[in-house]
Amino acid sequence: MSTTVLQALIGGLTMGGVYALIALGFSLTYTTTRTLNFAQGDFVSVGTFVGVGTIALIGGALAIDPASYPWAYLLAALAASLAMGAMGLPLYLAAIRPFAGKAGMSWVMSTIGFGIIMQSAALSLWGPGTRMVAAPLGDDVIRIAGAGFRSQEIMVLVLAMLLLGAIDYAMHRTSLGRSMRAVALNRDAAALMGIPVERIMALSFVVSSALAGLSGVLIAPIMSASLFMGVVIALKGFSAAIVGGLTNLRGCIFGGIMIGLAESFTGLWSAQWREIVVFVVVIAILAVFPDGLFGKKLVEKV
Amino acid sequence: MSTAPSSESIPLPPQRHGAGPAPAWRSAAGPVLVAAALAALAFSLSNDFYLRILFMCGVYYLCAAGMNVLAGYAGQKSLGQAGLYAAGAYAAALLTANLQWHPALALAAAPVVAAAVGVLIALPSLRVKGPSLALVTLAFGIVTEKLVTEWTDVFGGAQGIYGILPLTWDDEPFSLQQWVLLVIALALATHLLLAHAIKGRFGRALLSLQFDEIAASCAGIAVYRYKILAFVVAAALCGLGGALVAQQNQYFNSDFVTFHLSVFILLLVLLGGAGTLYGPLAGAVALTLTDVFLARWPFIQHFAYGGLLLFALYLMPRGITGLFERKRTPPPPAPAVAPPAAVELHRAAPGPDGPLLELRGICKHFAGVVTAQDIDLQLQANRIHALIGPNGAGKSTLINILTGVIAPSAGTVLLHGHEVTRMSAHRLAARGIARTFQNLRLFGAMSVLDNVLIGAHTHLGLGVSESQARREAMAVLAFTGLHDHAHTRAGSLPYGLQRRVELARALASRPTLLLLDEPAAGLNPQETRELGELVRRIGGLGIAVLMVEHDMSLVMEISDHIVVLDRGAVIAQGRPKDIQAHPRVIEAYLGTDAGLEEE
Repeated sequence: MSTTVLQALIGGLTMGGVYALIALGFSLTYTTTRTLNFAQGDFVSVGTFVGVGTIALIGGALAIDPASYPWAYLLAALAASLAMGAMGLPLYLAAIRPFAGKAGMSWVMSTIGFGIIMQSAALSLWGPGTRMVAAPLGDDVIRIAGAGFRSQEIMVLVLAMLLLGAIDYAMHRTSLGRSMRAVALNRDAAALMGIPVERIMALSFVVSSALAGLSGVLIAPIMSASLFMGVVIALKGFSAAIVGGLTNLRGCIFGGIMIGLAESFTGLWSAQWREIVVFVVVIAILAVFPDGLFGKKLVEKV
Repeated sequence: MSTAPSSESIPLPPQRHGAGPAPAWRSAAGPVLVAAALAALAFSLSNDFYLRILFMCGVYYLCAAGMNVLAGYAGQKSLGQAGLYAAGAYAAALLTANLQWHPALALAAAPVVAAAVGVLIALPSLRVKGPSLALVTLAFGIVTEKLVTEWTDVFGGAQGIYGILPLTWDDEPFSLQQWVLLVIALALATHLLLAHAIKGRFGRALLSLQFDEIAASCAGIAVYRYKILAFVVAAALCGLGGALVAQQNQYFNSDFVTFHLSVFILLLVLLGGAGTLYGPLAGAVALTLTDVFLARWPFIQHFAYGGLLLFALYLMPRGITGLFERKRTPPPPAPAVAPPAAVELHRAAPGPDGPLLELRGICKHFAGVVTAQDIDLQLQANRIHALIGPNGAGKSTLINILTGVIAPSAGTVLLHGHEVTRMSAHRLAARGIARTFQNLRLFGAMSVLDNVLIGAHTHLGLGVSESQARREAMAVLAFTGLHDHAHTRAGSLPYGLQRRVELARALASRPTLLLLDEPAAGLNPQETRELGELVRRIGGLGIAVLMVEHDMSLVMEISDHIVVLDRGAVIAQGRPKDIQAHPRVIEAYLGTDAGLEEE
C-alpha cells in the first residue's frame, strides 16, 4: 500500500470518526423525538470556541503556555462538552418541545433560528477570525510504514472509536439506554411504563449537543477553528446518519466512516471536488436506498 | 414503529367552500386590482430604494409561489431551492453574456433550464421522506453551491459573471421601474394560473399525496408524476426569480447561492401560510420588509432573523394567513339543498362475458413467510363476494395484490381477460378497481366533498368537467347518506361516518369492482346493518364487490359468493349456505365443531 493511500486511510477514518460522533447525536434525538437539530453545526463551532476560550483562560490564569500542557486541552474538551450540553436544554425547550410529535417540520426552522442566535452571540464575543489550536500531544509527525501522521489524528481516531463503543454499550446494556430506546419505539407505551419521557427527550438533546461540542474541540487542532467551520462538518454528520440509517446507531457509525473515507480518497484526486463528490454520492445512495443502507425499511401496513 | 403522526403533513387551515368555485372573472378581480394598485405605486415612486423593495418582493413572491406548490400542497419540504434559483440565474447569465442570446429569449429559457434541473432533483427525491428528503434536497443545494464556486471556468466563481444582458425598451436597458412592472405582471400571471390549477384536480391531487400516498395512488393519482410536476413548478418559478435578479443586476456570482437562501425560500412559504393561496404573497411581503427594516441595525439583524425563525412558527403555526383564518367567521353551514336526485349515479357498464377478475396461481411471500400460495380465483360481475378466513390467512395481502399496492411473487391477474399483474395502483384504479382500507386512510384535513372528488380524479382527467364531477360527487354523497356533511372536514366526523366517506370516495371513481377491507370493523350493530344495506345497493348499481369481513352474520346475509382463505390458500368457496356447512371451513375457521359465530 502506498504511503499516500495509507495517509488518506487514516485521515479518512479520523474525520469519519468525528462525523460518526455527530451522526450519533442526530440519531439519538431522532429516535427519541423524531426531530433533528439543524443547528448542530453551530454547536460544533461554538463548542470549539468554548474550548479555545478555556485554553486561553487557563494559560492566562496560570501564566503558562497551555500548548505544552495536555491537560489544558483535556479541560477544554470537557468545558466544550459541558457548555454545549447545557445549551442543549434551552434548544430543546425553545425549538423542539413546541413542535415534537406534531405534523410538519417546523423544527427545521426553529433549530436553524436557535443556531443563528447562538452563532451571532459567539461572533460578537470572539469575532469572525480563525484560531489555531495546538495539538495536546504535540505537532510532531509520527511515521508509520513510511507514512506521516499527526498525533492528533491518531488520538481523535482512538477517542472517537472509544466513545462510539461506549455509547453503543450504554444504549444497549444500561437501563437508561433501554429507556431511550423504549421512548424511541413507542412514546406512549414508554410513558405508561413510568419512563419520564420528557426528561429522556431533553436528555437526548443534551447528549447530542455535548457530542457536537466535543467533536469541535477534537478536530480544532487538525483544521483551523472558525465560527463558520461547523456547518459543513455537521452536514456530513447528518449525511452519515441518514445514509447509515437514522435509527440505527451502528449504521450511523458506518455512515460516518464511509463519508470520511470517501472524502479523503476523493481528496487524493482533487481537493476542490471533494464535497461535490461526497454529496452526489449521498444523493445517489438515498435514491437507491431511501431508508439508508442499514435503516429499517418501514413497511406500511395497508 | 411509533404511533406518531406522519411527519409529512402540515396542519391545513379549514378550507372554505361555496357551492362550487366562484366564476373565474370574480376570483381574478381581487388579484388584478392588487396588481394594478402595485403598478400605480411603482409609477408614482421614483426612489430606487423603494422600487428595489418592490422588485425583491415580486421576485420572492415568484419563488414562494412555486415553493408553495411543492412544500405547501405536495408536502415535499425542499431545502435546496437555492440550487434552482442558481440554475435560472446562471442560465440567463451564460446565455446572454457568453452566447449572446436575446435577453428576452434567455429570460424565457431560464425557467425551462431550471425546470429540467428540477426533474433531476425530483428523481432521487421520489421515494425519500422527511429528514431524508431534507438531506437529498440540501445536498443538491450544496452541490450546486460548490459547483458554481469551484468550476470557475464556466461559472466564474466568486468573481462572477459580468455583462449579463438586461431586457431593453427602445434600445435602453429596463429601468428599475420597468423591472418592477414586469415582475408584477409575472407575479399576477403566476397567481392566476396557480389559483386556477390549485382549486381543481391538480391541487387536490397534490394535497392527497401529502396526506397519504397509498390512499392517493389507490384513488387513481399517479403519485410520482405529481411529485415531479410539483418539483418542476417550484423549480421553474424559482429559476425565473433567479434570472430576473441576474438580468436586473447585470451581474451574478456564487455568493448569491447559499444554504441560507434555501432556508429563506422555505421560510417565505411557512411563514406566509403553507398550502394557502395568499400565503406566498404574505410571506414575501413580510420577510422582504423585515429584511429591509432590520438592515438598518446590522448588529441585531442576525439575532432578529434567528428569533424570527425560532419563534414565528410557534406563534403562528399556520403562518400569517392562518392568523386571518381564525378571525374570519366560520363558513355558514351549507344550505340544506335537497339531494340532487336528478343526477343518476354512474352505473358500471356491463363488461364482456366471462369473469370480471381472474387470479391464476397467485403466490406471495415476505422473506420466507408465505401469505398467498397458488391462489386461483374468479370474481364475477354483478356479484357480492366475501373473503373470509382466520387472522393471518392472507386476506389483506390478496386485496393489496388486487389493487397494486404490493406485487405478487408469482401468478397472473386478469381483468376482463386482460393481464394487469404488477400494474401500479393508480392504473388499476383507472381501470375500475376501487378500494377502502382496513385502517382508515382518509385525507382528514380535507372536506368530505374534496375526498370524494379525489376519487373522481381519473375521469376528471378524461374530459369530465369540474362542475359535472361536483354534481356526481354530491350524488355519491346523497347515495351514501353523507349529503349533510359535504363541507365538513373529513377527519372531524365520527368514526362510522369516516368509514362511509372512504366508501364514497371509492364509489366516486366509477368502479367496476369495489374491494372493501373489513368495512364493518369498529361499527356498532346499527351502523353495520346500514352498511349491509349500502353494500347491497352498491351491488344494485352493477358494481361487483369483494369484501373482507369478520362479521359472519353480515357476510352470510349479503354475499352471493364466499371465498374462504386459510394460511394463504383457498380452502373453500361457494354460496353462503354451502360454506356454513363446509367441514374444512368449520375446522379451519373455528377449530371446533360449534356452529358459525361471530369472531
